[in-house]
Amino acid sequence: MATALTTKLLGQIRISSRFIRSRAKSSVTVATGSSESELEKRDAERKDITITVNEKIDISAISGVPDEHIKTRTVRIFVPARNAMQSGTYNTRRWRMEFDERERWENPLMGWVSTGDPLSNTEVNFQSKEDAIAFCEKNGWNWFVEDEKKPKMLRKSYGANFSWNKRTRVSTK
Amino acid sequence: MATNRLVQQGVKQVKPLLSVDRTEARRRVLNLYKAWYRQIPYALKAFNIPVSVKRAQDKLRELFLKNKHVTDIRAIDMLVIKGQMDLVETANIWKQRTHIMMFFKDTVNPKPTDFLSKFYEGQD
Repeated sequence: MATALTTKLLGQIRISSRFIRSRAKSSVTVATGSSESELEKRDAERKDITITVNEKIDISAISGVPDEHIKTRTVRIFVPARNAMQSGTYNTRRWRMEFDERERWENPLMGWVSTGDPLSNTEVNFQSKEDAIAFCEKNGWNWFVEDEKKPKMLRKSYGANFSWNKRTRVSTK
Repeated sequence: MATNRLVQQGVKQVKPLLSVDRTEARRRVLNLYKAWYRQIPYALKAFNIPVSVKRAQDKLRELFLKNKHVTDIRAIDMLVIKGQMDLVETANIWKQRTHIMMFFKDTVNPKPTDFLSKFYEGQD
């Protein structure tokens, strides 16, 4: 009798303690999971689990970029021009992305230029065209590529001016 | 101007964020929705928000349905995590009144769409 009573009581206590424990785990944290120790245990169990997803990633829903700056923007992917004042070619060894231009206005007194566009002065450089395209695709932006303009290197030599078959000796023949 | 679209149609194996399949992800989303739904009356009272419970519930539904096109399980998990962070911040009153009102965007003027209103606004 006594044992039955104690088991009953203990059972009830156990039930109520479980109830309390489940209540203490606040209802607002119920969506993503459980306590940290439980999470760690589950992580250890799931260490080797992989899931199958599409190769095409779209982070536009989670990137925090406002909708109007995803759907209405166009990205230009291009090779920047060489610095005209110097002979170095470092600028042309990268690919850059730039957003389409939005409205700018000038301060009538001081001439300061303003814009309401948060992406206006974005300048992101990439090693290759493919990287830039992948980045735009991932972020859901519309893009187009401007072809790279390679300078044509002409072979120049003084001797070619006197070639017998190139019709360059205009003065004597 | 070459515009050749990139077509990626393959699948790949990745580590999951939280859920291992769509059912689990769906369960998490529904759990979060329910938790928000239950929290709404308390939040409105705690922050003294001039919005009816019905309107807040509609807004909640709208915000969830905004992401219904998301199919990537990891993206869904990430959205759930962000939503839960928001919920915790609301429930613990770490947010302030304005942060709650930002969901409703009632101070944001809609952008002009037709030609004349764009002209009056000075936009092209």
